[in-house]
Amino acid sequence: MIEFINVTKHYPGRHHVLREVNLRLRKGEMALLTGPSGAGKSTLLKLLLRLEDVSHGTLMVNGIDVSTLRRRHIPAYRRRIGVVFQDHKLLMDRDVFSNVALTLQVGGLSGRQVQSRVRAALEKVGLGNRAQDFPAILSGGEQQRVGIARAIVHTPEILLADEPTGNLDQSLSTEILDLFRDFHHHGTTVLVATHDQSQVNRLGLPVFHLEKGHLHTPGEGNA
Amino acid sequence: MNLHIRLEAAKNALNTLIRQPVATFMTVFALAIVLALPVGLFATLNNLQQLLGHWQDQAQISLFLHQEAPATEIQHLQTLLERGTGVVSVRYVGKAAALTEFEHTAGMTAAIQTLGENPLPASFVVELNPLAQSPSALQTLVAYWGRQPGVASAQSDLGWVARLQAILALGQRAVWILAGLLAVGVILVMGNTIRLHIAQRRDEIDVASLVGATRAFIRRPFLYQGLFQGAVAGVLAWMIVAVTVSVLQGPVERLAELYGTHFHLLGLSSGQGLVLIAASALLGWLGSRLAVGRHLDHTFS
Repeated sequence: MIEFINVTKHYPGRHHVLREVNLRLRKGEMALLTGPSGAGKSTLLKLLLRLEDVSHGTLMVNGIDVSTLRRRHIPAYRRRIGVVFQDHKLLMDRDVFSNVALTLQVGGLSGRQVQSRVRAALEKVGLGNRAQDFPAILSGGEQQRVGIARAIVHTPEILLADEPTGNLDQSLSTEILDLFRDFHHHGTTVLVATHDQSQVNRLGLPVFHLEKGHLHTPGEGNA
Repeated sequence: MNLHIRLEAAKNALNTLIRQPVATFMTVFALAIVLALPVGLFATLNNLQQLLGHWQDQAQISLFLHQEAPATEIQHLQTLLERGTGVVSVRYVGKAAALTEFEHTAGMTAAIQTLGENPLPASFVVELNPLAQSPSALQTLVAYWGRQPGVASAQSDLGWVARLQAILALGQRAVWILAGLLAVGVILVMGNTIRLHIAQRRDEIDVASLVGATRAFIRRPFLYQGLFQGAVAGVLAWMIVAVTVSVLQGPVERLAELYGTHFHLLGLSSGQGLVLIAASALLGWLGSRLAVGRHLDHTFS
């Protein structure tokens, strides 16, 4: 479960990015995080990844108080989460297989386990035959699928996505978000930040809307 | 810690070095030259000490005896001298032998014959290894011998021994200072090289950090890079010294022959070579450790 309790984030000398945010996402749920650019969506995800520290309040993730997590425990905590970025963050000098394998290698898995799990993850995202290709020759949608495979290869408890369809056309966006819904159906907690209103309407999932750092009461998208 | 993780990191480090052969070679060769300088000087000092060992019999002390010194005292003195530290040989020169030697070397036979009686005293000629002890200890020893019953006077020329030992001590200290400075140089060169590697692989480090890599996981390939480059630089430095010694061998031997002696230049022994490789690998590792530590402090802060 993800729970923000009166979480505030501000940077010294700057305005508050998040103000008294209260959010609860139960285990196995999927929700969308919407809002205009600069509303604080990425900051909220960064707090979840502990890339940023909470200024005030409490952030609990599956029983772990992330706001007070010691620095040496952060890597192990991050290995329980999968994350997908709008810009994919792929390593261009490594092939698809190596990009996905990185998540397992940092977890200390052996070469044989890495082989089988990466193959399985690539099959899941429909890239089973592109393992040896380099990201530069893949389309935007395929690159995003590699990013998703990297995020789910270790079967994380939580999957976060920051504008995963930001650079994709409508049909590719639909494919990508449907993939997230598949993972959600398999029991993963999923939180997707997006400003694509048509997808919000199509998916009919709980929506948390951020506006100038304030989180509005969850509503339902139009199914 | 799983061995396969370490092996993977080592493979990763080797691949990175092999992918950039020119840059790797230039770094390693620069380090090798830096290392070869103090090691070459060290070898030079070793050779100098070896050369001086050939001249050990030139530290000679003469102890002149009283005219009426009894045989028991002379015998006792000889035993004492033979037990002295660094003593190579003790030779007794009786009055008659001294006269004969004097006539032979000075060519004053006629003048001496007019004296009627042999005026020369008996003596002990002691040959010492000048490097066996410090100049002050040698002076003390000679003074002690000079105070023994039966000894009228002691004559020695130990000034050159003191000068020689002072020069050697100065040389050794200079080599250590140079080695220390150049070791810092190796650490800085390696640190800068690894810093560039880190900059090249910044994206990889950031992504690895996002997916939960520990500091140790990120740090390890860079440490292995430093270790490998340092070790290879050590091997190259050893080779540079060996080739230099080999090139100088012929001229040095010919020069020694002109002085009527034989001299063979020494390079590094196997043990010294291995110490060199281990030390340079350690310096490479240390340089990497400093560079990576600074970067990761920034990444993980």
